Amino acid sequence: MSVRLEGVSFRYPGSETDALHEVSVALRPGEVTLATGRLGAGCSTLLLVIAGLAPHLTNGTRGGEVTTIDRDPATRDGRKVLAGRVGLLLPTPWTQLSGMSFTVEEEVAFGPANMGWRRPRIAETVERAMERFGVAHLAQRDPRTLSGGELQRVMFAGVLAMEPEVLLLDEPALELDPAGAASMYEMLPSLAEGRTVVLASTDLDRAAAAAHRALLLDRGSLVADGPAAEVLGSDGAVATGCSTTIAEITRAVGLTPGYPLTVAEAVQRMRR
Amino acid sequence: MSALRLEEVWFGYDDTPVLKGVSLEIAGGEAVALLGRNGVGKTTLTKLVVALLQPRSGVVRAGGRITEGKAPEDVARLVAYVFQHPDQQLFARTVWSEVAFGPQQQGLSQDETRGIVGDALERVGLEAFAEVHPYDLPAAQRKLVTLAAAMAQRPRVLVLDEPTQGLDRAGVDRVADIIGGLTEDDVAVLAVTHDLAFVAEALERAIVLEDGRVAYDGASRELVLDEHKARALGLEVPPAAALSAALGLAGRPVRVREVMDALRGERGTGNGER
Repeated sequence: MSVRLEGVSFRYPGSETDALHEVSVALRPGEVTLATGRLGAGCSTLLLVIAGLAPHLTNGTRGGEVTTIDRDPATRDGRKVLAGRVGLLLPTPWTQLSGMSFTVEEEVAFGPANMGWRRPRIAETVERAMERFGVAHLAQRDPRTLSGGELQRVMFAGVLAMEPEVLLLDEPALELDPAGAASMYEMLPSLAEGRTVVLASTDLDRAAAAAHRALLLDRGSLVADGPAAEVLGSDGAVATGCSTTIAEITRAVGLTPGYPLTVAEAVQRMRR
Repeated sequence: MSALRLEEVWFGYDDTPVLKGVSLEIAGGEAVALLGRNGVGKTTLTKLVVALLQPRSGVVRAGGRITEGKAPEDVARLVAYVFQHPDQQLFARTVWSEVAFGPQQQGLSQDETRGIVGDALERVGLEAFAEVHPYDLPAAQRKLVTLAAAMAQRPRVLVLDEPTQGLDRAGVDRVADIIGGLTEDDVAVLAVTHDLAFVAEALERAIVLEDGRVAYDGASRELVLDEHKARALGLEVPPAAALSAALGLAGRPVRVREVMDALRGERGTGNGER
């Protein structure tokens, strides 16, 4: 297990309710785990807690035990050891810009350079990451002049260039056009090879197919945890709008739970 | 008379043109999607519409008036703009004063302002949050605050940049309802989006930009039904329409509710899971 939460609660400063409430979950490398729920369910908070940014940057109070790789990410020692080994992509890429780079290439190299890698290794990783995300042609551009979709891909490349063991993605396709979003989600399973990937998203028509496992959260509590097809095809998920459009349609027209998530599955089931 | 009209508009940030002769016309009461790939110039076009940018050549008319040379605050009486990210826009200390800013700038009386603000907050479902600081609300609700503020300007044209981004299913449905209400009031709505499912549900007409020009301008339903064309323009056929096509549903419904109705009809005749 590379991420383990036991009875974890988190409350933002000034709030009267828990953003996360007694969540216990263990995540392993090799899987894409989707965390989903209605807005305010706590999916983004879950990522921040795993990364240690909550409470380190957000303030607030955390209860329970969090182990990311082999450390509590909220401790000073944990932050030091886990830097670069845990990568977090924010849904708003411009808030993640280092502000220190004049070109896209420098921006992608920012993380690796801060980890004290040797130059050839930095150059090689940066080049590979830029190619993987289709931003190599933007290498010399000023990152502040990019479109939202271009910038989101650049920031993803920057996170991946650090070769993190735990990859936390908060709505990674928010800024992408349909073609870009499709290729990003197609890439996710391969990114999970030897790595723990947690994806927080409400973009379920796309994200469902990319996930091995799904966590369903409701107002901070973990209400379902299992194989993605099982969790998202359940009556509870579909009834609360936390599944795909196809599941919603097939439930409404009277299919039985274990709803199909994709067009192909629905066609198969309805022609049977 | 059209509410919004662009005639052969050219624009570029540097020597490379982004928009290369864009012409379009939108009538009051029309809800139109503006689609296209990342970086194609959708947001740029909307900034020309609200006079945050001026065209290199060509003419932008909003509410029948040429916007060139006019300050954004003068254009604001004709066109309201909802930014993609609420934090680019919000500035007031309470939701109420944020939404009241437009009417107050237009010199309306206190009573009139109260009425308009109350109505706008009701439409977005935030009546109970009038005295809350906008930044104490979650991002999705902050977005609705900016939408209410734009509606309170009572514009002829409302431009929305990615109005459904980051919203969950319930939020998307609400935005669709709000747009429906605005078009009934004869407001022209232009919504920049990547979300073709939302387009199929809420926007009758679609304009797709490709390589600086208008590559498609027509019924959004036709675009959603034509998988080949949609793909060629970098768009994805939404799941409901894809299911409708795959099952060959009669009348080819594309909206979720219509697909459900058609399926119920077919399943009633015994075609389906038993």
